[in-house]
Amino acid sequence: MSITALLVLKCTPDTPNPVILAHAFDFSGFNYFYHPNISEFVRFFGSTVAGRTLPSQRQSVKHKDEVVHAYNRNGLCAVGFMDDCYPVRSAFSLLDQVLDEYQKIFGETWRSAKEVSNQKWPYLVEALEKFKDPAEADKLLKIQIELDETSIIIHKTIDGLLARGEKLDNLVEKSSDLNKASKLEIVFDMRKLMFYKRARKTNSCCTIL
Amino acid sequence: MQARRGQSSYRDRTDEFFGIVETLRRSIAPDAANNVPYGGGGGGRREDPRSAVANQSEFKKRAAVIGLAINQTSQKLSKLAQLAKRSSVFDDPTREIQELTAVIKQEISSLNSALIDLQAVRNSHNDERTISRDTTTHSATVVDDLKNRLMDTTKEFKDVLTLRTENMKIHEIRRQRFTSNPSKESTNPFVRQRPLASKPAATQPAPLPWASSSSSSSSSSQLVPRRQGEAESSPLLQQSQQQQQQMVPLQDTYMESRAEALHNVESTILELSNIFTQLATMVSQQGEIAIRIDQNMEDTLANVEGAQSQLARYLNSISSNRWLMIKIFFVLIAFLMVFLFFVA
Repeated sequence: MSITALLVLKCTPDTPNPVILAHAFDFSGFNYFYHPNISEFVRFFGSTVAGRTLPSQRQSVKHKDEVVHAYNRNGLCAVGFMDDCYPVRSAFSLLDQVLDEYQKIFGETWRSAKEVSNQKWPYLVEALEKFKDPAEADKLLKIQIELDETSIIIHKTIDGLLARGEKLDNLVEKSSDLNKASKLEIVFDMRKLMFYKRARKTNSCCTIL
Repeated sequence: MQARRGQSSYRDRTDEFFGIVETLRRSIAPDAANNVPYGGGGGGRREDPRSAVANQSEFKKRAAVIGLAINQTSQKLSKLAQLAKRSSVFDDPTREIQELTAVIKQEISSLNSALIDLQAVRNSHNDERTISRDTTTHSATVVDDLKNRLMDTTKEFKDVLTLRTENMKIHEIRRQRFTSNPSKESTNPFVRQRPLASKPAATQPAPLPWASSSSSSSSSSQLVPRRQGEAESSPLLQQSQQQQQQMVPLQDTYMESRAEALHNVESTILELSNIFTQLATMVSQQGEIAIRIDQNMEDTLANVEGAQSQLARYLNSISSNRWLMIKIFFVLIAFLMVFLFFVA
């Protein structure tokens, strides 16, 4: 579950080739010697896809094992290179966030950019790291996962509760049996007591005698 | 009807023929009497009085109609079974199958109600007049036979439906092999899976809720429109299968997936609240039980303590009795001594 690259480009209809405004790469998964190749590939691919994405349109392109997601928003385009198992929805919400941040920080200056700028934007690099886990990027996904965990726990609790109920029923039975048994014994004892009281009364006359 | 004829084909049916002729003469509705001859003791019925025959013939008519309808339904069912077995990936006669299924379901339910009516008619006839024992047993047997055949038909119908769902599953798997990215989400461990669909929790693919609850329309209808939306792009994909890159328009799917995710969250929360309320109810009930147990134990304790005091007193009285007895014994000995003195 990794993001290979994040790019922010400017692709308006008047510029034939999209201009890369900011980029962040993470090539840890690839062989060291291929890094420049991959960087070249990423740039080329990113600008191509961004160029072909119409404004306010989202696109996903699959290339071997990697998927490229592109989101164009009024000329400002965010492209992300992720692997297969990154869910599409999280990818696009991530691109959304990236675009928002960019607009917040850089305002509208990007519109005038004509060539590839090499300024490093640390937010992108952080984003690359942070959003390896799609749950971070997509709040809905996070909520969903937590809800599922909670419901698992609740089901276990209910099972325990049912077992407790059974044991309580057991106890009720036994205690009521005990109750009845002890009542019988009391009755038995009371009868014996009455008998011996009477006996003693009669005997007491003899003693006096 | 044909099966019944086949069963009784080796019987001598002249008696029945005579019976039919008489019924024809007597009964009010003439043409339905053609359906009357089904295998059974036709001889005894000839002697019934006229009203009984009329009532019997109505019963027979209905039974015959039901039998015929059951036959037709089973024929349609066999056609449906053929269609279901035949379907391939592309030439899928889904609509026809669904229509047939609906028709068959309707027919089965109407047959059910007709059978119940038939039984009611028979009971009312039995209450009205006195009839021979044979007739009652016969009508009972007929009704049972019809019921059995209807049950068999329903069972076959169910089998056909299961077969159909299995086929659909196989199609989906094949389709997934040919398409790629959009449907790969089903194997994604991060796609939301129902962890409580069965006990071994986490690694269930998304097609499973659809396949395992094929008759529950909610989950299937959720997934099926999505799959259909992507299946429409699959012919394009199969054309460009040679290419490694595929451009798939995702705009609608994205919105749909967000909407679906929201729905899922909402329904999960509802379920959770439900479970919580049940939990609270059960806990309060068990609290009552616990109080009862407590009460019982206190009563028992009081009883046992009382029993213990009784026993103690009992013991006392026993021992005091002994003391009394000793006294009496001494008195006796005194008397003996006096007696001995006087004698000796």
